[in-house]
Amino acid sequence: MTMQTMTGRKCVFAILPFALVLLGAAPSSPGYAAYEKANALFVAKKFPEALAATEEALRLDPKLIPALTLKAKLAMAAYRLDVARRCLEQALAIDPRAPYAQFLYGLEAYLGNDLKEALPRFRKARQLSPTDPRAALYLGLTIESLGQPAEALSLYEEAVRLERSAGEPHAETLLPGARLLLLLGRLEECERWIRQAATLSPDSRDVHFEFARLLLKKGDAAQGAHEGETALGLPEGVVTDAAIHYLLIRAYQQSGMPDRAAIHAEVMRAQETPADNKAKH
Amino acid sequence: MAKECTKLAARRGLAYVEGLPPRLITAVLLCGVVAGPAATPPAIRFQEVAAKSGLRFSLRNGAAGQFHQIELTGGGVAVLDYNNDGCTDIFFTNGAAIPSLRKTGPEFYNRLFRNNCDMTFTDVTAEAGLAGEGYSTAVAIGDFDNDGYQDIFVAGVKRNILYRNLGNGRFADVTAQAGVAGTDAKFGNMWAVSAGWLDYDNDGWLDLFVSNYVVWDAATEPRCGTPERQFYCHPKAYQGLPGQLFHNNHDGTFTDVSQASGIGRHIGKGMGAAFADIDGDGLTDIFVANDSVRNFLFRNRGDGTFQEIGLEAGVALREDGFAIAGMGGDLRDFDNDGKPDLVVSGILNDSFLLFRNLGGARGFEDYAQRTGLLMGTRQFTGWSLGMYDFDNDGWKDLFFALSHLSQLDRYLGRDSALANRVFRNVEGKRFEDVSAGAGPDFQQAAMHRGVAFADFDNDGRVDAVVTVVNGPAKLFRNVTAGESHWLAIRLHGRRANRQGLGAVVHAHLPDGRDLYNHATTTVGYACSSEALVRFGLGANRAAERIEIRWPGGSVQKVANVAADRIVDVVEEVKP
Repeated sequence: MTMQTMTGRKCVFAILPFALVLLGAAPSSPGYAAYEKANALFVAKKFPEALAATEEALRLDPKLIPALTLKAKLAMAAYRLDVARRCLEQALAIDPRAPYAQFLYGLEAYLGNDLKEALPRFRKARQLSPTDPRAALYLGLTIESLGQPAEALSLYEEAVRLERSAGEPHAETLLPGARLLLLLGRLEECERWIRQAATLSPDSRDVHFEFARLLLKKGDAAQGAHEGETALGLPEGVVTDAAIHYLLIRAYQQSGMPDRAAIHAEVMRAQETPADNKAKH
Repeated sequence: MAKECTKLAARRGLAYVEGLPPRLITAVLLCGVVAGPAATPPAIRFQEVAAKSGLRFSLRNGAAGQFHQIELTGGGVAVLDYNNDGCTDIFFTNGAAIPSLRKTGPEFYNRLFRNNCDMTFTDVTAEAGLAGEGYSTAVAIGDFDNDGYQDIFVAGVKRNILYRNLGNGRFADVTAQAGVAGTDAKFGNMWAVSAGWLDYDNDGWLDLFVSNYVVWDAATEPRCGTPERQFYCHPKAYQGLPGQLFHNNHDGTFTDVSQASGIGRHIGKGMGAAFADIDGDGLTDIFVANDSVRNFLFRNRGDGTFQEIGLEAGVALREDGFAIAGMGGDLRDFDNDGKPDLVVSGILNDSFLLFRNLGGARGFEDYAQRTGLLMGTRQFTGWSLGMYDFDNDGWKDLFFALSHLSQLDRYLGRDSALANRVFRNVEGKRFEDVSAGAGPDFQQAAMHRGVAFADFDNDGRVDAVVTVVNGPAKLFRNVTAGESHWLAIRLHGRRANRQGLGAVVHAHLPDGRDLYNHATTTVGYACSSEALVRFGLGANRAAERIEIRWPGGSVQKVANVAADRIVDVVEEVKP
């Protein structure tokens, strides 16, 4: 029963790869070369090697903020939020106005479901870097989780606007807004957001999944099934196979194709029994 | 019409002969009554009267800063008329010391309160012999031996107890001889969170379903968080358990048919359960709300086996494929189309679920968004619940017992204690949160858990008794104003089980409306509500026709039933 269902939670690890802006870098630092190596290893998803290089960078320069934030990201990826928090508090003690460290500090609280802490941290990140779309997006996610959908939606819009201004729009930034609009029953607006996301990432399973949900809501089960099947065939995304199969069961049933629905139900049962219900430490 | 009157009179006589006291026989026929003027539904209002009524009970969960998962569940409360005096009594389950799981003092006793028929209650636990043992979480009421006295099944952590009502104010622990201790060959004694009585094979005897949660042992329980900031683990840290089904052998014993029925083959993390005939085939089906894994819907095949169809029926997961932390459930017809729908509570940011039954094999459609319940409940954590017509306007409303998990205040920056919520059903189209107008007592936040429903003062308005973790229980007396009429059907099965559990009742009103409800005590989470089948009649002063479909398929009709009373209907058995 423990809460682990914060809005957009599954987006978090999707954003980390592109959270690599090197704000506050100090090329003159004796640890910088080691840090650069660590960062390259992180991008290559060689996490143990990246951690070793980060530790080396910090040994050479314990106050190297990019290395501290990278270590925090590595810790978050391993769900060691306590380690991440310590690194970020250290970084912010060195430079209280380091915007990326401040954003990650908010993210650390958000990942720990600590919305009370996440809220002021993201607000401060927004103040420090008003043009950073990530801060707007995650502040929106936090606020949505706290039950203020209108304010959340305006922050999602702001995040999208900031990305466009920077010439780097991402489908992932559009999806939280699209999901919220779907929840609110604002289907036409939702469709506009999803179509924009599809233009940006035509091969995203998450985008196709959300489109399939929307189509089901609009009563177009056949097209919903088509979009669902497309999503299932795509590897990129955080939406689980189970969620897509469940959608397809309903889409095919509503389309008068119970046999196709039964196939997806069978796949789900085969995948879930009994492993899903076992303890996962 | 006269013939129907005669039939009912005959049935009244039979009920009396069978041992029911005369004051119970309130069936009155007012043939030819017509509907009065239409009335505007009044605001649903409650007054909290526990202390004034002498209902002094505090649930103790045994928490001592160790974050044992079992501390989170519990709070089961039941309503029953254990002494057949026509006034509804209350039974509370209670926790125990951890890790011993022993009731080390009276603060952990389960409690039975007798309703003195004047809206005051007397603690009769000691004389009833119901203080109990072990860490109790849930309760289910049913007359399993068809002797006319309601029995009590108490479920808990690794210990379940069946109490037979001896009819003299005392209860006897018959768990061992009945064979319902529930020890599983693979999992041993399990942790039950809910239970309920149903007659799944329509043989006239109540069978027992137990919803089990996760494998738990104080010694090996995982620890989560850090030493300085420990918290309750997510359920994924625990292995799930199967539910259990016990078949009544008609001789005071039961046979564990969990495996043979197919139910025991499904491992879940069972919380609340709900029973109804979802597809109109005359057989009672079983819904189980699971915590963080998908829900189960067991379709009764009628041959002693069940098919799990949660996925196909569309009630397994939230619309986006997410497995919410399912808590309580109720299968009731919210839109008066004759098909039981489903409501399920969850935790913060889950939103509660509402599924509309499409009928037959067509399953359910997600209806939470269309009715406003999706966004309207997103910020709540709900435990037990019930769908009852609190304003008697003919549309069943929703009552949720709410509180966040006890550790959540530090994460949310707001208190984990919540006020309960009541949602008014607006003509089967949407649910409107009318809690703010439900009176000052209703606004009081607490760590609410269980809720059971009954009309304690026999005024026709459905009241609610609510448990509070480590706090005093609440008794919400329904004081909704207005002139709406009501009707309650108390069933007396002869070929069917004595309480008529599983019977479906259809009321046709003079204004042309048709209302549907069914007899079950299994409502919400860990709790047991009254078996009476209730209808709000709005402005109608009578039901033009009452039709009862008894378990087993026989149909009985009663014409022109006057409103504002409890009508006893004895099953008509043709030779």
